[in-house]
Amino acid sequence: MNTLPLLLYAAAGVAYAIHFARRDSAIGRAATTLLLFGALVHTFVIGMQTMEVRHLPFANFSRAVSSFVWLLTLSYLYLELTTDERSMGVFILPVIIGLQLIPVLHPGVERADPVLDSPWFWVHVSSLLFAYASFALAGVLGVTYMLQFKEIKKKHLGYFYTRLPSLQILDIMNSRAVTVGWVFLTFGVIIGAVWTAQARTIAPDDPNLRAMSIDDPKIFVALLTWGVYSFAVFARRTLGWTGRRAAWLSSVGFAFAMVNFLAINYFVTTSHTFY
Amino acid sequence: MHLFLLGVSHRTAPVDLRERLDFSSRDLSAAAGAIAAKPSMSEAVVLSTCNRSELYVATTDPACAREELVSFISEYHHVSTPTFQPHLFALENSAAVAHLFRVAAGLDSLVVGEPQILGQVKEAYQTSASKRCVGPVLSNVFRWSFGVGKRVRTETALGEGAVSVSYAAVALARKIFGRLTGRRVLVVGAGEISSLTAQHLRAHGVGEIVITSRTHAHAEELATLVGGLAVPWEAMTSALGAADIVITATGSQRPIISRAQLEAAQGHRRGSALFIIDIAVPRDVDPAVGEIEQVFLYNIDDLQIIVEENLSRRAAEVERAESIVNDEVTKFMAWQRSRSAVPTVVALRQRFESIRRSELQRLEGKLGPLTPEARARVDEVTRLIVEKLLLEPTEQLKALPDEETQAAYTEAVNRLFRLQDEDASEPSKRS
Repeated sequence: MNTLPLLLYAAAGVAYAIHFARRDSAIGRAATTLLLFGALVHTFVIGMQTMEVRHLPFANFSRAVSSFVWLLTLSYLYLELTTDERSMGVFILPVIIGLQLIPVLHPGVERADPVLDSPWFWVHVSSLLFAYASFALAGVLGVTYMLQFKEIKKKHLGYFYTRLPSLQILDIMNSRAVTVGWVFLTFGVIIGAVWTAQARTIAPDDPNLRAMSIDDPKIFVALLTWGVYSFAVFARRTLGWTGRRAAWLSSVGFAFAMVNFLAINYFVTTSHTFY
Repeated sequence: MHLFLLGVSHRTAPVDLRERLDFSSRDLSAAAGAIAAKPSMSEAVVLSTCNRSELYVATTDPACAREELVSFISEYHHVSTPTFQPHLFALENSAAVAHLFRVAAGLDSLVVGEPQILGQVKEAYQTSASKRCVGPVLSNVFRWSFGVGKRVRTETALGEGAVSVSYAAVALARKIFGRLTGRRVLVVGAGEISSLTAQHLRAHGVGEIVITSRTHAHAEELATLVGGLAVPWEAMTSALGAADIVITATGSQRPIISRAQLEAAQGHRRGSALFIIDIAVPRDVDPAVGEIEQVFLYNIDDLQIIVEENLSRRAAEVERAESIVNDEVTKFMAWQRSRSAVPTVVALRQRFESIRRSELQRLEGKLGPLTPEARARVDEVTRLIVEKLLLEPTEQLKALPDEETQAAYTEAVNRLFRLQDEDASEPSKRS
């Protein structure tokens, strides 16, 4: 079911790459159209899965990744359509395509767990997935900022200089994405704590719930990620850490977020293994 | 009707002569009107920029038009004919079309690919059109040229990249700050390039422009020119703290802005970017300033390198642009030929139609007993036969490869079918 969106994303990725290299606006429009179609089909897939399990398909790792990809695509499309700036597509599409491979290769089965049957849980996961999607955008914006910054600073105006938007625009977009992501991350973590406290009263012996503490790698790295982004938000406003420093922070933060979301979730975690 | 072009450009005439033959300082539409009123000419467009003065006309006799235009130029500018005649160039029909397309594409400009020329061509055309000095010949070729200019601009990188130091500086500022609206500029030392750069920045909507110079009168002079504010030399350090873009161009033998001075100013800037354009030789800004985070320091050599890279990039695009122009000239000439065949095609159709009608009329007696449906069928069948007979010759006539062949074919068709023979319009009388 996730294959068709993947194919459309891959086609859009190729079109974005050609658009970036040749700066052909017709190919750029085709890329956006393909991505819109991909997002539309993906929305349908997520909708079907929601009807199937009667809640958003988050409780299975693969489906959570698929939902994350869907949110990331929608966030990127929002950014592209509101700024009329397509050059980011070539950087964000590899992330979208790479992550969408996970649900295609390992579909997995969603298991209904009575512990998860709480609105707090769904708000917790939705918030964090949306926060990660914002951080993914901020991370890509940060990387492109650094590429552009390096060319201008070193006076080697070349490939990226002619293709990327101005440093100021990249910095503003990065700032917005980090702030939005940070708000959702903070909200999601708080809701997660509330849900844990509530769920413990329902299922006091659940091994996952018992493992929910700062010692758990998933929770520890999540708080570390929150720390990085909190510093990024604070440093921009009080220390004047804009531009390259902010770009660097958002890239590091995104690395933490992805390690937590993918690697730790898959190999290490003890508290978040509901599937 | 022929398209004829007579003019001078930076390729044929020195700047002092071009200045004397400049039409743009006076009423262009009056000049176009005066030319179009000459006996041998019916349409006129005057294209006059600092690099060219070109007169495009529609004429029945190019040789006569040339003479009339030469005497017009001489009288209009009060310049004796021998002074400018050796510098004139004249082109006719397809050569004139190709020239106009090259001009509109920016291929004939002094700085290849410069963007203003297409607007100037459009303006020249509109000025003449507003005075009703253009007809089908100039209207078609000029309108087509706008499309050529646009196509070259979108399909090639001919117009990309700044090709002057001041534009390169503005382009960089836009790449750092995005929109320049509201940005504060500090100009240290008033020179020609700093003045030009400040003017370009002003045109891009920057906010306050503060100017300081050791000689306050120079600062005030530039402030008046660019609509800025002149401040005393001693206020430079505080102005540095508030500026987003700094242009330095003093004659100082030693750097006037040090790293320590800038770092102190940066403390108040809370990480916002600072773009310094050091045009002075020797340099006004300590090169170590460029190492400060969020400070972008460019000197005159850095900007010159950008300009040269852009120029060589444009030169690499010339070939592609030329092939687009050639392609468009071929298309335009073919289109024009197909249009010039139209009167013959129309006459041929009228001739066949009149034969058809007169034959039907002649057979009126025999067709009389037929039912109205059958008569309508006969009418339809004869009409279709005529249509089919004419389809192939019409297509062939429109698609002939050159003007000479077309003239020969048109002449042959005219003679074969007696298209210009009034008596021939009533063939049934002779049959």
